[in-house]
Amino acid sequence: MDWSILSWLLSFFILIALIGIIIFQLMCLADLEFDYINPYDSARRINSVVLPEFGTLGALCFLFLISGHWFMFILCLPYLYYNARMYMRRQHLVDVTEIFNMLNWEKKQRLVKLVYLIVLVFFTIFWMIWSVLDEDT
Amino acid sequence: MASERPGPPTYLGKPTISPFPAAPQTTMPFLSSGPVVGSEGTGYRANTPSGSNGPPMSSPPSTYASPNVGVHQRFPSQQYPAPVQQISNLRGPPAGQPVLPPPVLPSAQQVLPPPGSFRPQPQIPSMPMGSPPQSANLQPPRGIVPSSPLESSFSAPRSALQSSLHGYPSNQANLVSQVPPMQSPSFLAPQGGYVPPPPLAAPVGLSSREQMQHPGVGPPVGAMQNLVEEFQSLSVGSVPGSIDPGLDPKALPRPFEGDLMPNSIAKMYPLNCHSRYLRLTTNAIPNSQSLLSRWHFPLAAVIHPLAEAPDGEEVPIVNFGPTGIIRCRRCRTYVNPYITFTDGGRKWRCNICSLLNDVPGEYFAHLDATGRRIDNDQRPELTKGSVEFVAPTEYMVRPPMPPLYFFLIDVSVSAVRSGMLEVVAKTIKSSLDELPGFPRTQIGFLTFDSTLHFYNMKSSLSQPQMMVVSDLDDIFVPLPDDLLVNLSESRHVVDAFLDSLPSMFQENLNVESAFGPALKAAFMVMSQLGGKLLIFQSTLPSLGIGRLKLRGDDPRAYGTDKEHALRIPEDPLYKQMAADFSKYQIGVNVYAFSDKYTDIASLGTLAKYTGGQVCYYPGFQSSIHGEKLKYELARDLTRETAWEAVMRIRCGKGVRFTTYHGHFMLRSTDLLALPAVDCDKAFAMQLSLEDTLLTTQTVYFQVALLYTSSSGERRIRVHTAAAPVVTDLGEMYRQADTGAIVSLFSRLAIERTLSYKLEDARNSIQQRIVKALREYRNLYAVQHRLGGRMIYPGSLQFLLLYGLALCKSIPLRGGFADVQLDERCAAGYTMMTLPIAGLLKLLYPRLIRIDEYLQNASAKIDDFGKFSKSLPLTMQSLDSRGLYIYDDGFRFIMWFGKMLSSDIAVNLLGVDLSTFPDLSKVSLCELDNEMSRKLMAILKRFRASNPSYYQLPQLLRQGEQPREAFLLFANLLEDQNCGTCGYVDWMLQIHRQIQQSA
Repeated sequence: MDWSILSWLLSFFILIALIGIIIFQLMCLADLEFDYINPYDSARRINSVVLPEFGTLGALCFLFLISGHWFMFILCLPYLYYNARMYMRRQHLVDVTEIFNMLNWEKKQRLVKLVYLIVLVFFTIFWMIWSVLDEDT
Repeated sequence: MASERPGPPTYLGKPTISPFPAAPQTTMPFLSSGPVVGSEGTGYRANTPSGSNGPPMSSPPSTYASPNVGVHQRFPSQQYPAPVQQISNLRGPPAGQPVLPPPVLPSAQQVLPPPGSFRPQPQIPSMPMGSPPQSANLQPPRGIVPSSPLESSFSAPRSALQSSLHGYPSNQANLVSQVPPMQSPSFLAPQGGYVPPPPLAAPVGLSSREQMQHPGVGPPVGAMQNLVEEFQSLSVGSVPGSIDPGLDPKALPRPFEGDLMPNSIAKMYPLNCHSRYLRLTTNAIPNSQSLLSRWHFPLAAVIHPLAEAPDGEEVPIVNFGPTGIIRCRRCRTYVNPYITFTDGGRKWRCNICSLLNDVPGEYFAHLDATGRRIDNDQRPELTKGSVEFVAPTEYMVRPPMPPLYFFLIDVSVSAVRSGMLEVVAKTIKSSLDELPGFPRTQIGFLTFDSTLHFYNMKSSLSQPQMMVVSDLDDIFVPLPDDLLVNLSESRHVVDAFLDSLPSMFQENLNVESAFGPALKAAFMVMSQLGGKLLIFQSTLPSLGIGRLKLRGDDPRAYGTDKEHALRIPEDPLYKQMAADFSKYQIGVNVYAFSDKYTDIASLGTLAKYTGGQVCYYPGFQSSIHGEKLKYELARDLTRETAWEAVMRIRCGKGVRFTTYHGHFMLRSTDLLALPAVDCDKAFAMQLSLEDTLLTTQTVYFQVALLYTSSSGERRIRVHTAAAPVVTDLGEMYRQADTGAIVSLFSRLAIERTLSYKLEDARNSIQQRIVKALREYRNLYAVQHRLGGRMIYPGSLQFLLLYGLALCKSIPLRGGFADVQLDERCAAGYTMMTLPIAGLLKLLYPRLIRIDEYLQNASAKIDDFGKFSKSLPLTMQSLDSRGLYIYDDGFRFIMWFGKMLSSDIAVNLLGVDLSTFPDLSKVSLCELDNEMSRKLMAILKRFRASNPSYYQLPQLLRQGEQPREAFLLFANLLEDQNCGTCGYVDWMLQIHRQIQQSA
């Protein structure tokens, strides 16, 4: 069990956590759309996990960086840049007053993130298996 | 006479919804070929006994030469006694229609001969050769001759010979008539003149240049009679070699009548709620997505749920008692006039979702032979489109709240110096007796500068106790209760407080404003009950949370991508607070007074999400603006208010409301939370089609406003309306409602300024108009060969002008230098809530000359209507010998001409204008002379027409710069100003754009 496999395993779990956060946000938005929760609760729940999401992604990138997985790091960069930009513009939180007008956009944005993360997961699994096989041989 | 008019024809087999008393028109299809003169009222008719409705008559057109009695005064080339008739001769000016000097709107009217028309040619023989009616153009019927060689004008030089070769001997001709230019579409339609052209006439196409230039109404060439009511057109082609733009400014349509409510829908669906409550942008719902996408205007409803009804038309109140309110089980629609009873009265079918519901035992009534309930007439909910139900306890989450007013008053130095504090205190005191909801009304006060001052008003005290909290970082409320007290119990304490309030802070020199902490404190006090929070702010918030920067008006920001940031709240706290206020049923009204920047964009957010309003009095001085503030604050306090309200609009299957525009907060996808809403607020909502094809004939809408009345009763106000589903784009345009469209445009454009540049918002309005008119043009232009003309639906004749007015309205006008940022934002907030009539008045104000009336000793106020003629908003309307009033519903601007006889000014103002007094300091008050009393009566009458605001008269002398340019000239929207084009240029510009890709 060398460092490489460990790092892949770790990044795999971080990615799963990220996907979980995104799915949670999507669920809140879907609930809101079908009137299961009110906009105040929905916005509060989503906003409570936005910064953890950004932090987790930062940690993932850092992990890729120090473990020398350049390719994965570069793959993560657009996502990181997007998050950083939203944060700088103070648009990262959901606005409770405009949440219904922004609903479609918020959902679309999170769906794209989700697809992006799933692609990353596949890459990670691939590299993980690769490095396991590599070690065996 | 009416019975002989060819009425609106059947269009596509569907009953045409026409605003006109429809005349029998079955004969329409047969009309075509005879020299049937469809008009009466002239000597002509005697010779053609058939009338327009008769079967094709063989009355020879030899009668022609006689009849046309000198019409076409403005057509110099009209030497021939052409069989034309003047419409005004036929019908007389319609009531209420200003008959202006004849600016020649040639209206044309033809009749389409059906193929196989049997009118034999020789029956029209006796027309003198070579005397073609110049204004009557011959034109083969549409669809028969594929194209016309003509491009630019509507004269169709098709010789009669040619057309007779086609076997249509007497194809239609045009009746070109003169009509007053300002006619409403309803005026145009039924003049059915029909003039058969002489078959062997000289080549036609003679329409003179003059004629081409005159804006026309109706299709100049073309087809069926009904087209006349379908569109109007203006010719805009310029004469070669002339610099004249080819548009007669006098003849352009202008909405002097103000808001015209659509009446055809009320005729078609008499059970609908009155259109003051609900208006659709078009009273014809498209049946498919593809049709909707060709209607380039928004498909939307403008709802004014608490509109003030005139006496005798109040919304009836229905109490179902223990039965409970009758609603559809599935879609929760309320019982309304459009439901149908079946099964002997035991079941009713929901008109919105078609579900069969049981009729509760207590509500049962037998049906008569026609299927109506026998008690139908006693049940307002089954006969009236608007009704109010008393809601039982299921509709309450808590006991109905009492009316509650909380005042948050800035007492810093600027508030005291401007006199705002004194006016506010006095006004509140004088309104105490009229606050709604006695004896449950609650009231509370909080004042602030750099500290917060709470007032204990417990009824056992004789004087209010003041408590000062200076810790702004950790706000707490010093007393658990007694900050909000019952007004009737603590009345003497409240009175004592309001009496002493101005003097208490007279010496206050504090310039700071801890607005954010004060807001938090007010929220803490009010969050138990909710209510209305009135904020009086006269400086920029400078301390504690929510402090705002002097973002000011950076001229460099304009025209860049950062421009819009100035118009949105700077601190997210304000949005957050607004959301919290809305959650706890607190409605916020913001009164702002500073002459310096106060960031209305941020403050107004509080009102935006709580159903409130923003009142802005820039540079408030109690001596000048005191009256205005007094009136508007008193109205705010005393008008009927709906508390803790929610509003939902339901509609039939296949359509769905998607976006909402106005001041409210969305609590779920279709539920508008309105903590406090009153009769001056309107809301707009856009529709989208869900299914690709609507199969029903009618779509129903139902607005339900659930609220607590001031009397403490929970009520549901329900407005129900129906609209037909159509398959035809032309019908959608015909049924369009300019007022509703303009209201939507203004809201969309103002919302757009919050995320884009002003320029973009203006362009988007223009683009939408262009797209829609281009689409409309494609419907008609080709087949009618309207090459160089601009055509638009009669229902939308004022839309272009309103579009221009919108681009020049304060929220969208110009750039940095044209309007102060605060004023822009405040006007934006106001326009987002304005009902349609108020908005149209603001966009196209009234300009009236009054000196003649004032000088006419015998004229009484009741005669004022005769003197008051609305003038076009252009400099040319101003005569230096006159006195004019400009009334936009928010203020009066009185313009004294230079050469106005001096006794008028002396009589009205008490000063001589020749001494060049500073008119901004002169206030208008009633003097002891007849003229002054008359003026006051006029102003009173004007004010009565718009009671929502107090119109403060601002006086202006001709040549008094820069006030004149700023106050009046910038608002004369038909002129070129603020770097934007005038009315004529605007029309040409739109016309060019339509042509570009048409």
